[in-house]
Amino acid sequence: MLKVIVEKEIREILGSVKFVITFGACAVLILLSFYIGAANHKANVEQYNAAKAENTRQMEGLTSWMSLEQHRIFLPPQPLAALVTGSSNDVGRTIDVHRRSELAAVDSKFNEDPIYAVFRFLDLTFIFQIVLSLFAIMLGYDAICGEKERGTLRLSFANPVPRATYILGKLLGSFITLVTALLIAILLSCLILPLLGVSLTGDEWIRLAAIIGTGLLYFGVFLTLSVFVSSRTHRTSSAFLALLVIWVVSVLIVPRSATLLAGRAVDVPSIDELAAQKTSFSRQLWTEYRDAMGSFSAPKDIDPHDMMTHFNKFMDSLSTEREAKMKVFSDRLNEDRFNRQVVQQKFAFNVARVSPAASMNLAAANLAGTSIGLKNRFHETAMEYRKVFGDFIREKTGMNLGGGMIYVEINDDGEKPDPIDPSELPVYTYSPKPLMASFSAAFVDIGILALFNLIFFVGAFVSFIRYDVR
Amino acid sequence: MSENILTIEKPRLEAINLTKRYRDGVLALDNISFSVQPGEIFVMLGGNGAGKTTTINLFLNFIEPTEGEARIDGIITHKDPLAAKERVSFVSENVMLYGDFTAVQNLDYFSRIGGQSEYTKDDYRDALLRVNLAEEAHHKKLRGFSKGMRQKCGIAIAILKGAPAILLDEPTSGLDPKAGHDFIHLLKSLQKEGKSILMSTHDIFRAKAIADTIAIMNNGRIIMLKKSSELAGCNLEELYMQYMTGHDGQRLAG
Amino acid sequence: MLITLIEKELKAILQSPKFVATFAVCSLLMLLSVFIGIKEFQAQQKQYDVAVSLSEQGIQESTSWRGMSYKAYRKPDPMQIFVSGLTNDIGRWSHISQESSVKLRNSVYSDDPIFSVFRFIDFAFIVQVVLSLFAILFTYDAICGERENGTLKLLFSNAIKRSHYIIAKCVGSWLGLVVPIMIPILLSVLMVIAFGISLEGSDWLKLFGLMSMSIFLFTFFIVLGVFISSLTRRSNISFLFALVIWVTFVLIIPRAGVMAAGQILPVPRVAEIEGQRDAFAKDKWAIFNEKSMARWDSYNQNTSEDSDSSCGSNFVFDENELWEHMQKEDSARKIVEREIEAYETRLQEDLQQRKSGQERLAFSLSRFSPSSAYQLAAMTLAGTDINLKSRNIEVMNNYRTQFNNYVDNKISETNDLSGVFMIEISSDDGVKMNNKRDEQTIDASDMPKYIPAKSSMRQSIDALIIDGGLLGLFIILAFAGAFLRMQKYDVR
Repeated sequence: MLKVIVEKEIREILGSVKFVITFGACAVLILLSFYIGAANHKANVEQYNAAKAENTRQMEGLTSWMSLEQHRIFLPPQPLAALVTGSSNDVGRTIDVHRRSELAAVDSKFNEDPIYAVFRFLDLTFIFQIVLSLFAIMLGYDAICGEKERGTLRLSFANPVPRATYILGKLLGSFITLVTALLIAILLSCLILPLLGVSLTGDEWIRLAAIIGTGLLYFGVFLTLSVFVSSRTHRTSSAFLALLVIWVVSVLIVPRSATLLAGRAVDVPSIDELAAQKTSFSRQLWTEYRDAMGSFSAPKDIDPHDMMTHFNKFMDSLSTEREAKMKVFSDRLNEDRFNRQVVQQKFAFNVARVSPAASMNLAAANLAGTSIGLKNRFHETAMEYRKVFGDFIREKTGMNLGGGMIYVEINDDGEKPDPIDPSELPVYTYSPKPLMASFSAAFVDIGILALFNLIFFVGAFVSFIRYDVR
Repeated sequence: MSENILTIEKPRLEAINLTKRYRDGVLALDNISFSVQPGEIFVMLGGNGAGKTTTINLFLNFIEPTEGEARIDGIITHKDPLAAKERVSFVSENVMLYGDFTAVQNLDYFSRIGGQSEYTKDDYRDALLRVNLAEEAHHKKLRGFSKGMRQKCGIAIAILKGAPAILLDEPTSGLDPKAGHDFIHLLKSLQKEGKSILMSTHDIFRAKAIADTIAIMNNGRIIMLKKSSELAGCNLEELYMQYMTGHDGQRLAG
Repeated sequence: MLITLIEKELKAILQSPKFVATFAVCSLLMLLSVFIGIKEFQAQQKQYDVAVSLSEQGIQESTSWRGMSYKAYRKPDPMQIFVSGLTNDIGRWSHISQESSVKLRNSVYSDDPIFSVFRFIDFAFIVQVVLSLFAILFTYDAICGERENGTLKLLFSNAIKRSHYIIAKCVGSWLGLVVPIMIPILLSVLMVIAFGISLEGSDWLKLFGLMSMSIFLFTFFIVLGVFISSLTRRSNISFLFALVIWVTFVLIIPRAGVMAAGQILPVPRVAEIEGQRDAFAKDKWAIFNEKSMARWDSYNQNTSEDSDSSCGSNFVFDENELWEHMQKEDSARKIVEREIEAYETRLQEDLQQRKSGQERLAFSLSRFSPSSAYQLAAMTLAGTDINLKSRNIEVMNNYRTQFNNYVDNKISETNDLSGVFMIEISSDDGVKMNNKRDEQTIDASDMPKYIPAKSSMRQSIDALIIDGGLLGLFIILAFAGAFLRMQKYDVR
């Protein structure tokens, strides 16, 4: 019996004009999002390589590591970030690590190319969020009440068909058909990536698979929801209206307004206040250290060359001391802000999770490594790199980073010194959060999506058992 | 009554060599001609696809004839459709009307569209009572109405327009026996007012009960056209079956 | 007759149950968006006020004219309540100092990425997404729905002109939908007043322009719905089409247009520009250093010749003479600095030109969708458009020139040596370091005031004319389409 109902459902869906139009539009958009993702990724890689080459080129002609004034590291573009942009366009992509003070990432894509921010991005999650949910609604809104309007429901139940079997068959049939159709479209679109020369590692393929799985789970939420609403109403027009309102509110309104309202409810000190506190503390430190600086002295008969070295060492040790104090101070401030931000995020996102669209977005961003953690991760890896880089510079120059205050090179013997070799520099590599960590971060949201599926499924089931088929 | 039919007046509704071939090549009407005099009830009888609705559509200029013409009071409908339409009321099969409007609102709108803007609430009430729609339903939204109740509203609209000719496309399809009976009476009284009535139906018995003239149609042709006086003694149902099977036989042979 | 037809459309909309539901949702969302916008604006205004006073406090506390630096902030504009546009994407402030060029830093979204996750909700967004959907929901079955009901047949059995009917359909639906929607629009404006947001006269004009544009977009979708309904015979197919077209217009074309333009006309990344500038600067400085070294040598020779030979190997210098030399060096350095600055300006101009070429292409492509035309106009009206960045940078650059001149003057006036380390090496005392930094703070009360950039009225008017005209054209096209289709529509 179940088989007959499932088969009928599959045939009915595949044969309908509605399916052809909506699925066609869906497939084209999914394809488009993959194409745009791949093309963007390639453009980003080119820019990234150009920037890196430029960074190295700056070192050409330098004859001493002492005269290096800046050294930038760049956030390498991730292919998955092109599909799930998350916050990757808002995070600064460049950090100058040649400094003692705090690191700051600058040049976010949206700040540098505001043109892309005008209409925002067209990426896979966007298509999932908007189009998959609409697709589900279009195909599910008349599942029950439509059959009633056409009178086929009465006809079916004039036969000895258990209601449970019927609703089960209906849900299974539509789910299997639509998910299979979508999977085919998505998998075909995935082929674009290698075709356009974007290569994914095995790890990234697993992530992509998980992102697609999340998308389908999200699709399932809206499909079961549509059947549920359809089994609560008796007219297709009211079912559709109700679903459209739910769609607008949950997909477009709730995530945005929840984060904005909840986010502002938690008080997080602004960056400016922090910066001002840091500046005044640093000024205070300067005053404190002024006398210490004045106390520099050197043996009487010192050679001027050695004197400079002594002086630099002296200043360097003072700076190091000062920076250490500064660091303690700013770390405390930063940590406080960070902790508040975590509270803010937890609160805001938990409120936003009322909407499955929010869960889907958060899960996909976590899986792709473009969640808001991206900023911190880039920052942390940059700090680690600065340590390595600082050690390297100390080894080369005997100075701490940013320690050389005065550098006078006196060339007595007229010999040209050898230029420095940029390839000696330690290499900065960015690695996204490990796979397991990403999965565990996305776990909550995937769980929520599954729960939504279950709730609406049960809802549809129970409502249909008591549905008035007349 | 028979006097009316015999007097040769200027016919009110006239089909002259009407032919309609659709774009897909189907010949829906094949050179039919008839006329309806003032005070005459002309009934087209036939199965699905016989061409009854096409004929009515041609009178309303919903479609244009391939050949021939339909005239209302001498006005060729596809030459001057607006003038022609002023002279005709229409009752369609299964009209849904505006679901969010009450019966009176629907009547009011269509009367004004039909050029009658002087009606008062009482006129609407009277018209609805004339078609036997219970008074408590007059101010309810049509969404909840049964097929028969909606049909009654449709008929009331046609009456209110007050046009000299009335076209009815399967008007009795949603009516229960009592309402069907009332409807016959209503048509008779309209006939007495001098209206020309062109009606299509599947219903042989109703056709016989009211028609002055009966045309049996099949495959776009009028295969029998007789005055009711000529049919007085015979069994119309048998006749109908005869014509139909005869025609079928011809077609098979052809 | 026309009036009767229009009246009926009005009644049909106002009496339908879906009207109440959708109207309520729309109004709520509109008010919610304005509420959020106000809250957000107030938060940003507060942040701005604090930041500016901190920045001024920083100037007051500074003890030296040298290395003095000011933080110039972008001022939040009350119009961003309605159209947040790019305001959250673009850096909020820049250093104004002699050393660093103007660069906007710390956008809201990079400071608080949490708000970037789901982006913003504002009035323009509601109009673009919700109101357009609302319009389509009411008109997708305008004609095919009447056909399904049989009322179209009944209607045209009367002496009704088709042209009258289609005009009445559009006008009636327009009145029935636009008049009610004016209520939440007016309420949201009232809300702004109630929350005590002060708007200037020009802001009111802009607000009026924005609301008119919103009505224009709404009108377009109403007429589009009628047009689509005249293309099909069944309302469910018509709805499907309408929804696909809606998704394409509202969500796809705007984004795809920009992406396509980015592919067609790529613009060099900032790093490349900065690289070019740095390379240029490095060359210049290398030449300068060589010359400076030569000058230093010749200066040293001169002084050692002048000095008394009996002093032996210990050299003593005349502080005044050294000071003079340093002054000369300083002015030579300034010249190089200016050269580099000029070169950078050229680079930036070139980049700006390429960027604006890209922008023009991107926006022309996306203007194929009326909803992007609306968005662009709305952003321009609110001053949160793509020019927000360049406008602020320009004002900041101008201010920087003033600021630098002021500081230069002050330095020469006060002969300020603070912040300069002097290392004295003498045979008597060995090496001694002297830091002349004054403990007294400087008096910068006469420093030129920074006046934040404000969007110009002219640009707003241009936007109104171009995008308003474009929207008008779209409306006419959709109406013409509906009109022509109706003439041939099979009413059966």
